[in-house]
Formats: sequence, structure tokens, C-alpha cells
Amino acid sequence: MMNKLTDKAKEVAKELLEKKEVNLVLGWEKGTFEDKTAPLFMKKPEDVEKLIINEFCVNSLSSYMLHYKTHSGKIALFVKGCDSRGIVRLIQDKQFTRDKVYLIGVPCSGMKELNENGELVDSAKCDGCTHPNPIVYDVMIGEEVQPKNPEDRYKVLQEDLEKAIGDRWDSWTKEYDKCIRCYACQRICPACNCRQCIFVDQSQQWIERRVDETENATYSLIRAYHIAGRCVECGECERVCPVGLPIMKLNKRIAKDIEDLFGSYEAGVELDQKSPLGDFKYEDPEEFM
Amino acid sequence: MINKTWTESVNPLYPIVCEVTKIIDETPDVKTFHVTSANGKPFAPMPGQLGMLSMLNVGEAMFSVTSQGEGHLEFAIKRVGMLTDALHEIEVGQKLAVRGPYGNGFPIDMMKGKDLLFIGGGIGLAPLRSLINYCVDNRDDFGKLHVVYGARTPADLCFKDDLFEYWPKQRDFQVDVTVDKGDDEWKGNVGFVPAFLEKLNPSPEGKINITCGPPIMIKFVLQSLAKMGYNDEDIVTTLEMRMKCGVGKCGRCNIGSCYVCLDGPVFTLAQMNKMPNEY
Amino acid sequence: MKSINKQKLADVLNEWSKSHAVMAPIEEGNITSFIKWEEGKVVKLDKNSDIPVKSVFFPQTEELYEYKVEKDNMEIIEATPINEELVVFGIRPCDLKSLEMLDDLFLTRGYIDPYYKAKKDNAVIVSYLCGKPCRTCFCESMGIDYQKAEGADIAMYQDGENFGFVAQTQKGEALLETIASLTEENDIKLPEKQEFILKADTEGLADKLAAMFEHPIWDSAYEKCIGCGACTYLCPTCHCFDINSHSRSCGTGFKTRCWDSCMFPDYTLMAGGHNPRPTRKERFRNRFLHKLQQFPERYGKIACVGCGRCISKCPVNVDITDIISQLKEVDINDQQDMDRVG
Repeated sequence: MMNKLTDKAKEVAKELLEKKEVNLVLGWEKGTFEDKTAPLFMKKPEDVEKLIINEFCVNSLSSYMLHYKTHSGKIALFVKGCDSRGIVRLIQDKQFTRDKVYLIGVPCSGMKELNENGELVDSAKCDGCTHPNPIVYDVMIGEEVQPKNPEDRYKVLQEDLEKAIGDRWDSWTKEYDKCIRCYACQRICPACNCRQCIFVDQSQQWIERRVDETENATYSLIRAYHIAGRCVECGECERVCPVGLPIMKLNKRIAKDIEDLFGSYEAGVELDQKSPLGDFKYEDPEEFM
Repeated sequence: MINKTWTESVNPLYPIVCEVTKIIDETPDVKTFHVTSANGKPFAPMPGQLGMLSMLNVGEAMFSVTSQGEGHLEFAIKRVGMLTDALHEIEVGQKLAVRGPYGNGFPIDMMKGKDLLFIGGGIGLAPLRSLINYCVDNRDDFGKLHVVYGARTPADLCFKDDLFEYWPKQRDFQVDVTVDKGDDEWKGNVGFVPAFLEKLNPSPEGKINITCGPPIMIKFVLQSLAKMGYNDEDIVTTLEMRMKCGVGKCGRCNIGSCYVCLDGPVFTLAQMNKMPNEY
Repeated sequence: MKSINKQKLADVLNEWSKSHAVMAPIEEGNITSFIKWEEGKVVKLDKNSDIPVKSVFFPQTEELYEYKVEKDNMEIIEATPINEELVVFGIRPCDLKSLEMLDDLFLTRGYIDPYYKAKKDNAVIVSYLCGKPCRTCFCESMGIDYQKAEGADIAMYQDGENFGFVAQTQKGEALLETIASLTEENDIKLPEKQEFILKADTEGLADKLAAMFEHPIWDSAYEKCIGCGACTYLCPTCHCFDINSHSRSCGTGFKTRCWDSCMFPDYTLMAGGHNPRPTRKERFRNRFLHKLQQFPERYGKIACVGCGRCISKCPVNVDITDIISQLKEVDINDQQDMDRVG
């Protein structure tokens, strides 16, 4: 379905580069295998030949903007629904202004991947997607699509919510035994946009490079709290994790708690919205007063 | 977790506990520490070698041994970060953990019988001092000795006793000092080290040049030396990289395929020209 | 050779467990790594492990020594020696080759790392010969025959139903003696070798790279890298480590060493603020030059065994075989090519 968009995408990207409206276009190109893609950095009109749009374009290109925010001139990037929420996140966090980016919107009918047995399955991160269409865009290629199962946004929490709290802690720490602290989750997350992450930066030794229960819990829980209310639920963190940690479970649990406390909320769906944790309304609950 | 046979071999990652026996305030941000162990000198380094000083509950870092006596080692430490802040707070009698010696040291054999020109800037005099004092202790093995040294202000000059008292009294030993910015009492030269060097214009004939200092000073000094006709093989300097293990295993301090802690920190300019520009 | 039906593997491991700690690739929570085998655990041999075998001899986190710090006193306490005899079981030829490189690094050049040596000397290496390559494997391009176990104490053959053990050293023979009653005499044949999908031509690469430090190819190769440490942590030959102290408020603590990655931004950051590798470009270039040029220059081997873990796990599909083929295309005798703006 999405493959037909490739030609239109190439047209748009080529025109932008030829007219010198932007000097860099971020997209996707074929990866090592048919079912993999890699981010593509197009600087000259000829580079556009490598561009593809298909159901394997799972990488979000939004967080690359953190490396290019001081790049001179405008930058264009292809964004799916979740990717555009990442861009909204970065603009709301004042990393750059809306006019720095030219967004080429790609409505997404869901990403796919090959599982262990070589079968084509839906990507885990697309389950429960509420915004397959880009939230902000300058031009849209392709027709808007309907979200497949938005009511499943919190489906992944079901199993844990049925467990007793003590069991939940045990199963969490056992899962996080696997964490090797590669910080891939922090590097890819658009909400993790601190110039120097207190965990990666070792000069203050908030945590060390050691891997054990305390350090892993500290890192994962504090990161979840730091992005609370700002996580756009794009699922990239869980996708990039080399050991398959259930990072989105933690983020979605916090998102659900925020909805329970402050009312219906989704991060990164409107450029002008404020995060419940960064704003105050008279109706906010005040159990502590 | 170690093997039963471990204690038979030297474990290079294992420090020994030492005591600080003297602390000298060289400048507002540099202190020299005299360190000794239960058996006298913690180790016997060659000039230019390094030791890893550790405040066990803070961290450890590599410092050059600036001098040694019969039963002690001296480290000159500039206050730049978390560990050096903590080091500057300790008092005489307190303990430190030390391990070493690491690094290749200065190529003494190449220097025997030659005239030596030492060019230092700021704290860069610290590694040079180990070599200078070695030359003074073995005076007959070396030709004329000439020290050209500069710091930002007169207060920032390190090892003032050596510069103005001890070294000028040695045979055939010339000391020239400059500061970037003088004060009311300073009567010596005012100007940057590279310009001062060109003004002094020491002849390159039969001379080995050893230079240590901040990267920007080294860059201009090397340009000046080239102008004055020095060969790359006759110029020796030290390179600095962040070091952790000190024995060429942890991979951190590599410049190209050299490990600074093992193959360095002393390199000739001819060697450096073959290394990638990543330091 | 001595063979068993694959159903009997647990019996063999059980027997070995009586006198050794058996480390084998075991899956826990979807990730396979070399952990201690116990009755009931299932050894996963159908694919290569996710975490390489270096984690047995060079663990992610390892205690170096303990210390006690008081106002006027400082005490260093040796870590308690653990004299454990190990059987490391199920190492594929790629990981086996990586152990050779780690031996070169930790056991040569003046200093011998006692922590690594202690474990390596006490280990019996049982290698598992592969039936066929996975799509991300390219060990053949790195000079490894996946049906030979060079350097192992025991080579393990498999044909789908049975395992066969061949001792290659005295240590291996001694270990096989202990399971003599469980085995039969039978020759187990490995399946026919198959084609690799991924290939990399590394001939002359190390010498070529020595002149390519400033080549413009590095200006674009690094762009998609996000700078996480996944490739380095999962690479069987990556060996960089950090040394940390962990202190409790009462003044006691311990020094540990743990894996570190040259891809992290503060890897070469010095106390005064100077960082020789300030951006992803320098760190990316350093990683590939270290593996393909610097390690060969120092130890005579390319520090890549073609296991393909970095390719399958990299979130942005940085592919070392692709980098190698790009580097191969560069003509260092063509000045225009060397000056090409990327």
C-alpha cells in the first residue's frame, strides 16, 4: 500500500532540493535486507533515487533534529503519525521553531517486520496506535487512513494490572536484569532532549556504568518519570532496545495515570497544548492539601 | 574474583595505600603532593612516567610523577574537576592509593651527551621537572641545559624554588621565564612562550628539545621550532588522553593504534606526525 | 567420535556440573546469553547467543577490590578468590575466534590481566560447530570456517538428532572421560556448507585505512548512527571498560570494572573539558578504524568475527559489511577520490 507513495515522495524531495528550499531531506533507504530500512540523508537531488516509502520504514527521524538544530537553513523530513508527534514534542520543548522544518507527511497503515520464524507480522509498536496520520505537516503524500485499533492504547498494561503489586515489582526487576545500559532508548527518544543526559554523562556519577538491580532500576524509572507527560508513545524506545525490554509498558502506565489524574490527554498531538505536569488548572486534584 | 595464583603475578590494577607527607602550594590552583608508602617510595619511576592516584571513594586519575626522592614521589596536581577538587581538600597525614609506574618515560638514551632545551607552559613543567632533576642528578651525562618556561601570571608560575634558586645554580644551566601578563613586582619578560622562544633563539645545533604544556602553546611552539630549524626527530613532547586502566587494556586512551598509557605519553614529533590528529 | 542423542544433553551437562560450573547459552526473557546451567534450564543452540561469550571471561560488571576509607586510614581488601572450574559450552566458531583476540589483548603486551586469566585458565572450551549461516552471518569473509573449532578443547558436531564430541586438547580429553559412560562411538556428520548472503572483502583494508583518517567518506557514514552503545556491547571483540568506585556512606566500597563504549559522548572527555572526539563523526570513525585498522596493526587480526550481531541489533541498520564495501571502493591512489567532498 505504502510502496506507491515512493514515487510521489521522490518527486517532493527532489523538488525541495532542486529549488534549494532546504539543503537536507531526511528519509529512508533500503537496508541490508528487504525487510529493513535505514535513515537516508539526502543533500543533492541525485540522492533522492535511494528514497523508499514502504511498510518497513519504521525509524522515526524526528530525534535526528537534535543534531541538526544549529544546521543552517531549513531541513525537510518525512514523518509518519508517530514521527510527527515527536517533532511536535521537540518544538514544544523549544528545541527549534516550527519554521526550521519542512514536514512531508506520510499517512501510515502500520509497520511490519519479520519475526523469529521469518514470518511477516505487524510491528509491536503499532499496536494501539491512535494517530496514524501526521499531526503537523507542510505537504501530505497519500490519503489519510483510519487508526486500526486505537481502543487498544493501553492493552499492553492488562497483564500487569491483574498482578499483585509485590509480584509486579519482582517481574519488573527480573525483566530489567537483561538491561545492558546501552542507552539506545535515551538516544532515540524525542522527549529525551537534555543536552547532557545525567545518566550518560559520567562526570557527576549519578549512576555508574555498572549493571545491577539498583542501577538498572534507577535509570529506567527515573527516565520514565523525566518523560512523564511528554512521552508521545511512538514506541521507538522499545523498538531500538537490543534486549527487548518492555519499555513502553512503563511509559504507557504513566500516561494512563496522568489521564486518571488530569483527564484525557495525549502528548504531542497539538502544537499549542501544555503538558498536565507543566501546567496548572484550578480543577487539578489536590489530595495533599 | 581472582584465581589462587593471582597474588604470584603483579596485578596492575591494584593500588597500594600511601600517605601524604607534604603539601606545597605552588599556585592558586596547583599543589604538589609528597607521597610515601609503608616501604618507602611506592614505586621507582623513570622520568616522564605516570602514576594513578586514587581517592578511593571519589575516583582515580593519571598524573605524571614530577619528581622523586629517596623515599617519596611528588605529584603536581592542578585543580580542574571533581577528583582534583577532592585531592586539593586533603591534609598532610591523610591517605591516598597509588599505582604505577605507567607509560614509556622520556627517551633518556637518545638525550645522553646532547644539549637539552626544555620548553614548558603552566602545569606542563611538572612532567618536564622529573627529567630536569634526573639530568641534574646525572649532570655529567648531559650537555648544556636550558629551560624556557612561561605561565599566565607570576602567581601561576610552578616550582618557583627550582626556577629561581635551585636550577640556576647548576652547572651550564640557563633558565628563562616569561609570563603572559605581569604584575607590579614582576621584572622579567612579559609575553607568550612561543614568541619568547623566538626572541631567545637558541640554536638547534646538537640539541634535543622537550616541550610540555597546554595544547595551544604546544601548537605554536612547534611552529616556532620548525622555523628555527629543529628536526622532527629531535623534538619530544607528551600527549594527554583520558586514561582508566593505565596498562593498554581498557581501550580508552588510543590515538590511532597507540595507547597513550603504554606507548606514550612521551612521543617524538616524528612519531606524532604519523598518528591521526585526534588528541 | 563420542556421540549422544540430543535428548541426553542434560545428562551430560549434569555430569559436568558435578565438578565444574557449566556456562551455556540459555534463553531468559527472550535474550540468550551464557549463564550458569542448572537442572531444568534449556540450552538454546538453534541460533547464536545474543550476548557473546566474552561475558563469561570479561563480565559486564566485575569487582576488582574492596576498600575502607576513614579520616586517617585507608584499607584495600583483596576480592575473595573464587576458584571455579568452568566448562563453557556451546561457543560458535565466531565467538571462539573472538576469545583468541581477547587473549591477545588481556594476556600480552607486558601486563597480564589477572581477572581474565584466572577465568580463562580454569575453563574448558566446548565449541559448537554451526549447521548453516544465518542471514546476518559473514564469518567466512573474516577467515573463519564455521565447521572448525580452532583453539577449542572440544569440538561439538551436530546433525539435527545427535551431538558428537571430539577432544582437541588434553583438557578436552579429560573432560570427555567423565562422560564416557553416556556416549557411544559414532561419527556425526555436519550438514553441507551453505552460501552466505553477506560478504565483506577485507584484503588490504588495514593498510588502506592507515591513509584514510581524513577521508571525506567519514563525513556522511556516521550520520544515521544515534550513538547508543548497542553494537559495542553485543560485539564479541569489543573490550573497552571503565573503572568505577561504588562507595557507601559508611566509607566502605568497592572498585568495579564494567563495559564501556567508545560511542558514548563522554568516552574521551577530559577533566579540563577538552574532548578529542566531540561529535558522532569522530567516535564512529574511531570504532571502525579500531576494528579494521588499529587492532590489526597492533595484534595482527581484524577485530571482527562476522557474527552479525551488530547488524541485526543496530536500530538504524548501520552495517559493517556495507561500510567495508564502501571503503573498498575508495581508490587511495586517485587524488580526486581522496579529496572528494562527501
